[in-house]
This record gives sequence, structure tokens and C-alpha cells, in this order.
Amino acid sequence: MPPVIDHKKCVKCGYCAQICPLDVIKIEVRGKEKKTVIKYPEECWHCRACEKDCPVKAIHMRYPLSHLMLHMKPDGGKH
Amino acid sequence: MNITKQNKIIKTDYLVIGGGMAGLQSAISAASRGLDVVIAEKADTRRSGSGANGNDHFACYIPECHGDDFELVVRQVNMTMDGGPWQDPTMLRLWLSRSFEIVQFWESIGIRMRPTGKWNFEGHSVPGNQRYHLKFDGQNQKSALTKAALDRGVHIMNKTPICDILLNDEGRVVGAVGIDISEEQPKLIVFQAKAVIIAAGGAGRMYPGITPAYMFNDSACPADAGTGHALAYRSGARLTNLDMAGGHAGPRYFARGGKGTWIGLTSDIHGNCITPYQDKPSRENGDIASDIWPGSYRERMQAGTGPSYMNCTETTDEDLEYMLHDAFVSEGIDSITDHLKQRKINLRDSMIEFGSYNIGFSSQGIDIDIHGMSTVPGMFAAGGVAGNVKGSLSGAVVIGMVAGEYAADYVKTVEECTVENHPTLQARLDQCNALLNRQEGAHWKEAASTLQNIMNDYAGIQIRSENMLTAGLAYLRQLREEAQAHLGAANSHELMRTLEVLDQIDIGEPFFLMVLNRKESRGPHHRSDYTYTNMLLNDKFQTIVKTKNGVVLDFRSSW
Repeated sequence: MPPVIDHKKCVKCGYCAQICPLDVIKIEVRGKEKKTVIKYPEECWHCRACEKDCPVKAIHMRYPLSHLMLHMKPDGGKH
Repeated sequence: MNITKQNKIIKTDYLVIGGGMAGLQSAISAASRGLDVVIAEKADTRRSGSGANGNDHFACYIPECHGDDFELVVRQVNMTMDGGPWQDPTMLRLWLSRSFEIVQFWESIGIRMRPTGKWNFEGHSVPGNQRYHLKFDGQNQKSALTKAALDRGVHIMNKTPICDILLNDEGRVVGAVGIDISEEQPKLIVFQAKAVIIAAGGAGRMYPGITPAYMFNDSACPADAGTGHALAYRSGARLTNLDMAGGHAGPRYFARGGKGTWIGLTSDIHGNCITPYQDKPSRENGDIASDIWPGSYRERMQAGTGPSYMNCTETTDEDLEYMLHDAFVSEGIDSITDHLKQRKINLRDSMIEFGSYNIGFSSQGIDIDIHGMSTVPGMFAAGGVAGNVKGSLSGAVVIGMVAGEYAADYVKTVEECTVENHPTLQARLDQCNALLNRQEGAHWKEAASTLQNIMNDYAGIQIRSENMLTAGLAYLRQLREEAQAHLGAANSHELMRTLEVLDQIDIGEPFFLMVLNRKESRGPHHRSDYTYTNMLLNDKFQTIVKTKNGVVLDFRSSW
């Protein structure tokens, strides 16, 4: 679930849902309750727009294992 | 669920389809000339498109820095990734000659075009040549351009992707159809416009990505799904150069653009530099290897000589700090910095494997003239969707500006034309309702997966032949039939994605026809049945246009 919402901090303003380039985030309303939901996590581009623009800094990005950053020491992998 | 329809028709002079960098700049230029302008944007212009989070290179000609010898400038820029063969030379000259106007304008609206205080050119450069890529800080570019557009009276409609362009009986543009996806239930919006500009970006997600199970792991913005190409082709606009599409390169399983922002050397597994351009990491030049030969990472793997790495272990501490915490932020790819930190990867001792990304149609698409107009009167295009101009960000926004200016003259020559009874409206409503009400409908990802497989297996970047392409085209048509009959969508978001995949299938058709018709091998196009390069096709661009009498393929001279 790429963007992770800290629900204790989230003020449910909906700004992240508005600006997400991929329309991944939604504000779900159930009765009087509102909740910020990562509704389409597989469509996340990991661009961090939500994280950067969140007015209360309630979002951080988790990079999925599918997107692993492959790295190698320049000794040809001997160590 | 049914789609609703907004009764009020949105009337404007100039409808901008896509509020990315090209679209916003075009809107600003048109509004500055007094036009009534509406932007219809799929997401939100403050953070949408491939420039959503920033850019750091702006290819430009600044006479006080580069001298008065414009021919030298043209020749040297042509050697960078913003030049090359698949751009009309006149278009290169056009965007280059007006690039400084944009630089000055952007500086005036608060985009930091010289964060060091002076004109600083870095990266994407051929060692020994002058440098032309202005190193700027574009992290606020979308919000700054959005504000500039609003200040000039542009009306921005976010969360409103466009799905049809409306033509009158004479074949000129009179409007468009969009869908408001801001609520769970979609709403059809009708636009009456004297002119439109398609600025919807490239066509991504046509081929399997580097992580096929995660289709949105792409270097360009995955919202750019090729709808602009499809709108143009269905409207009878001429497309060009789809057969010359290639791919980008970057971190192998974490697709990001901005390869030119890295300061390092392309190296083998032992850390030895494998390219001839420089033997030390250069902040001034960047590593041009990935610009000149972005397919090299794939080819070396297939030849058994890979893998290949971006090696920053010899980069100075100062340059490394600058790259990770300054340049990547300006370019909007600081997800890489964040990702490296979370994984505790230190570029001081570890190299990052680079990979070649799959084909996307960006700078292959709508054939435009020096005013940015397509062959359909009133239909302009700029940015990744245009097919005969490159220049990355600069090419996109200069052509956007040129089109906006010319539109001001064009709209004076045409009458407003009512669209409320246009037959396309009912057809689109019926189709949306069919998709929304289909019980047990197929999910859009099913069709997207098959499209990507067909594109890759029958028209891949490696080898093509008459039999494979003929079969692929037949399968593509089978997929279209099945998709139209069985796809379903549960809400406005899924409807958007479903219409995207139908558009992508629509673009697959002219692409297959063009690669079938190019009976030679050239650039990224390899035919096993026509292995030679036909010299008679040098300096010619293949074009395709859908007419009432069928599809017409041709090779035109570049100009």
C-alpha cells in the first residue's frame, strides 16, 4: 500500500485525493465518519505529490518490494 | 450505476486537453491574446503529468551564452537527446529559437530558472560541445503555471478527462466530450470550442513495463495513456513516426525519468566505465551514454555482457549531495533519494543497476505544422503527443505557446457551431452506460494485460516480420471486439481506466499498420524479412491517416 497515511495526524481535508496524478486516494464517507483511503494502491506512481503537499505531513511513502532498487558494490559482487 | 449528463454546455474559444506543462503554457499564451480558455485536466493541474513534481533541464538557446552562430547551435543540439532524426528540422529551429522567451517568462512567475544566480548549463551534454540544457529548479513549476493561468482568466476543470473531439460536417473541430470523475458517479460534460489543443502527453502502458504485474511503474506519468493519440486518430488527424518509438532508461525495477540528472558513469559489474564519452563522473556533462543509447542496457543483458550500472562511487561528495538532495528534487525524482534512504543504500559504495524501459509513444504521434496545428482544422497538439517535434520539456512548452498564439488568429476565422445534438454525445452516453451496467464485466486490467502482451510478442522492439505483425494485428482486433463486448466499470475511476484501455487498443491499430508498411530495418525497427535500410526512405517520415475511404499510409519528406 504505497502511500501510508498516519490516521492520527490526518485531518481528512482531501487535498491528497484531489492532487494525486493517478486518482489513487479517496475520502470515504460512512455516515458521519470520513476516512482517507488508498483505494487503488497498485496505480500509485510513487511520485510523492501527496507526501509533499499534505498540510499536516501525515503521509509517507512505502516503496513496494516489486520496485526494489537493485544495487551492487563495484567489486563484481564478491563481498 | 448510470452516467449522468451536465445540461450546461461549456462554451469556449480554446479548449486545452491536458493541463500538463504544454497545456498550461498553451492556455497562458492563448489567454494572454484575449481568448476565452478552458483546461480539461484528468487529474489536477497543480500535480499532473510527467512534470508533476518538477524538471531540472530546459534545452534552450540563450544568445548571450551561446553566441550568434545559430547554425552551430542547431547542429550541436541535434547531437543531444533533444535532436536526432525523427524531428522536422524546421520544428527544431522553431522551439530552439523561441526557448529563451519561455525561460524569461517562467522566471517572471517565480520558477527558479537560475538557482545559482547565473545561467548554468549542465547535463545531457556532448563533451567538447557547448552545453544547452539550462539547469533550473522546476519543483514548483506546475503550481506556478497553474497560478499564472488562473491569473489570466483561464478556467481549469480538474478531474475531467476528455474522451471525444467533436467535428462538424466539414471536418473542423467544434467541441469535445469529457467525463467528470470527481464523484463516484461519472458525469458527461459537453464542450463547445472553436479550437482544441491536445496536450495529453505520450502514450504509455502500451507495452509491458519493467514490472509487468505493476503497470504504473513507469518513467513517464502513467496517467498519460495515449488518449490524445486516439482522439486525433479517430478524428482523422495524420499521425507520424509511431514506427520509430523507443524507450527510456533508468533504475531497473524502479522506473523514473531523469537519467540525465545522475552524476556518474555507466559501468559494468566491476565498476569499469563501458562508454567512450568520459572517464570521470561529470556534473557539467552528466552521463550522455544513456541519452545516446538508452536501449544499451537491454541489449547488453541479451548479449550476455550485462548487467550495466550507474556508478556514482567516484562522484565527489559535493556532487553526490547536490545530485540526491538538490537536482533530484528540482527534477521531481526525489522518490529515488527517499527510496535509497529507506533501503539504506549508499551510493558512495554501491552502484544502481539501470535498465532499458519499454516502448512508449512520446514524440511520436500527431503530425503538426509550424503553428502547432494538425491536419484537422482547429486541432492543435503539443508535447509528448506530437509526432514530428522533440525537445522534451522545451519543445513541448514552446509549441504549446506557438499554438496558443496562432489559435488567437484562427478562432477569428471560424463561426461558433452548436454541438448539443451532435450524434457522438448519445453514442458516448450509451457506451458508458453499457460499461457501467454490465454485470460480471471484465476488469480493465484484463484487456490492458492482453494488449501489452500482443504489443510485445508481435511488435516488440527486438524483431518484427510480416507474419508476426499480421497475426498481432488480427489479435489486436479480436481484443477490441472482446473488450467492447465485455469490459465493465464499477465507478467513475474504473470508467476512466476502461476508456483508457479502449483508446490504447485504438492506437495499437495504426501502430501495427505502420510497422507492417515499413519494409526495411531502421533505428529501433528491426524486420527479419527486410533486414536492409532502404536509402530511398532517408529523411522521410511515415504517416498514417484514417479517412472515410479507409486508411492511407505514406512517406513524406521531412521539412
